[in-house]
Amino acid sequence: MALEVETRPATNGVTVLAPSGRLDVGGVPALRDAVGELTHNGPAKVVIDMEGVTFVDSTGLGSVIAALKQIRAAQGELRLAAPNPQVRVVLELTTLDRVFPYYATVEEALTGF
Amino acid sequence: MRGQEQFEFRASFSDLAEGLDVLHESVERLRHATGRNEDDHALMLFETALGEIGSNVLTHGRPGHSDVPIEYALRLEGTTVVASLTDGGPPVRGHLSREMPDRESESGRGLAIARTLLDDFGYERDGGVNRWLLVKKL
Repeated sequence: MALEVETRPATNGVTVLAPSGRLDVGGVPALRDAVGELTHNGPAKVVIDMEGVTFVDSTGLGSVIAALKQIRAAQGELRLAAPNPQVRVVLELTTLDRVFPYYATVEEALTGF
Repeated sequence: MRGQEQFEFRASFSDLAEGLDVLHESVERLRHATGRNEDDHALMLFETALGEIGSNVLTHGRPGHSDVPIEYALRLEGTTVVASLTDGGPPVRGHLSREMPDRESESGRGLAIARTLLDDFGYERDGGVNRWLLVKKL
């Protein structure tokens, strides 16, 4: 089941990336490509809408960390929104919820961004 | 009655994408067969651990991406779910006891996550193969 990533503009110059499917070793390239395209165009404010991500593993999580580093290196900022319970468990277990404070909805993530 | 549930699933695969699909499909079948919901917490934790070990086995257990298949079985023993995976990769040594890496690290969390989420996690080298055992009470 390949991961698909939809890119859509939001308010205040923020871009929402909306992956759907499993974010695992098979899904990582699609997210990496989408983030690469955004940072190529300069500083980017990005919300990753996790609502459509049905499952994440440590490889998928690693790709989100890589995205964070890449976006910060381009003077941008990244927020995560709407992770499902499985994604939240993995974020909390790895204490990555302290690196990615996540928002319940995309609307919340966009507030004040 | 939950204590009398029965479930058994077997598969062999040698392709990464196919293998990952089969692992998740097997858990979905177990979920369906035992009348559990999508939000069944213990089964979700088990699936998370299975995804980690399955990904490791599919990535490292196929030397040269050989066609030697990975053998997989999933069964229910009472209310305990048991998965086994056998691969023909090189022996696994130091990674088994690896602690959770620091937060900025992009890799190295898989086995630590699996150990934390399972009630029992076994590995043994048996002749030329690696045998993995994942156990969780539901």
